This record gives sequence, structure tokens and C-alpha cells, in this order.
Amino acid sequence: MTTSTREALLDPTGAAEGASDGTLSPRPVTLKGLTVGLLDNTKPNSTLLLDEIAADLKRDYGIGEIKHYVKDYFGTPIKDELFQQIVAEVDIVITAVGDCGSCSAATVADGIMFERAGIPTVSITSDSFAMSGQAMADVQGFPGFQFVMVQHPVASLDSEHIRGRADQAVPEALRILGVTEVA
Amino acid sequence: MSETTSVDDALASFREMMAADGYLLTWDPAGEDKVVVRIAATDGACEDCLVPLPVMTNIMAKALAPTAYELDHVELPPGATH
Repeated sequence: MTTSTREALLDPTGAAEGASDGTLSPRPVTLKGLTVGLLDNTKPNSTLLLDEIAADLKRDYGIGEIKHYVKDYFGTPIKDELFQQIVAEVDIVITAVGDCGSCSAATVADGIMFERAGIPTVSITSDSFAMSGQAMADVQGFPGFQFVMVQHPVASLDSEHIRGRADQAVPEALRILGVTEVA
Repeated sequence: MSETTSVDDALASFREMMAADGYLLTWDPAGEDKVVVRIAATDGACEDCLVPLPVMTNIMAKALAPTAYELDHVELPPGATH
């Protein structure tokens, strides 16, 4: 293995050479019947936050099947095998939660990868790590990538407060997805 | 406002962000118009949470843009894997 190959494989930004497309995938307008992938990065409360958001989207916007996926490590972008599986199986992706430096950057990097693959995606970070997420978007050549920022913290909250974070996230997620139609 | 205060102000919000993961941010002049930003781990630092170096460099360079200084480079804690 050459040095350059090793560096490419270990690049924690996930920035592939030539990956500079800053164009969003086509927005769905309606979520009715769409298969939604929930990508959990294993940070505490990620699963609960994603489930709360999906429940709202099911009840109020008529999403179809909900599929759950789990990354094996929160600090780096998603591995290609799981990425390809998700792209093949869902219509939109919601991924959470970036509530640390590396995981907020990785959550945004994941979102950009899905957008470039044509999958509308909502990446969720906490507001304390907005700079990390935005910097990753810049490094990825997608400075206009928008992501949801919920109030920090997330990991230490009980279920009632996670419900509150979901309430913050849903309107922003709908805006980012371009959804205007209620089921 | 002194130049030192200006750099401190420019890096203040990122210093807070790093502190949330248990890291301490300091900086030193490097020549007349550049600064070196150093990240040190505290006892409670989350090793896996450290922002990747290219991302951190991007943040610092932007943060310093309104000041009279440019980023020379960022130094991560010894042994940092990012």
C-alpha cells in the first residue's frame, strides 16, 4: 500500500478526491409513503431522538416504512458498505446525533455523501458543535449544506427532554427537505 | 482593543466548543503575522471526540480571518489519531 493510498483510507473527513458537488438532491415536497432511513451514530440518545422524529413524521406527514441503521463508529464518516445499502433501500435519510466535535463533523459528512448520491438527508447536530459541522461542509466542498441544530446537550437528557429536542428538530427537518405537504 | 484580545475574541467560541469535549485551546504568535493554535487534552477529554485536523484547520483559519493574523498551523495533543 502506498502512503497516499493509506492516507486516503484513513482520511477522517471522508472527503474523496473530486467530491465537490454542492448541489442538493431533488427535494421530495411530500413525505407520504416514502421509506425513511434512520442512521444512528451510537451516541447516547441518538436512537430515541431519531425515533421521536420519525414518529412525528409518520403521524403528521404519512411517511412509509422506517428502517434503522447503526454506524460502527461515531467519529468518522459512514463506511461504504452501509452507505451503499442505505442508498439502495430508502428515499430519505435522517442521521443523528452530532453532539461532539468529531461526531458532528462526521454527521454532516454523512449527510453530504447521501445528498450527492441523490438521497435527501437531514443531519442533526447540537448547536454547540455547529462550527464543527459547518467546517466539515466547507472541507467537503459543500458550504451551503444545511443541517439541523438542536439545543446542546443531547446525550445527558431524559426522554422528556429528548421529546423537546425532537420538537425543535422536526420543523427544521421539514424545511431542509423542502416538504410543504401535510398528509 | 489589543491584537492579543482580538485573537482571543476570534477563537473564543471555538475554545468553548473544544472545552465541551474536554480540550483546552491556546495560541502563540508565530512570526509577525501568524499564530499557532494548540489543542491540549484535559483529564476528562473525550479522545474519540476530537475534531479531525483538516476540519479544525478550516475552523481556525476562518476564525482568524477578522484579525491581523493568519493561521500557521494547528497542533493536536500527542498521540491524537485524527
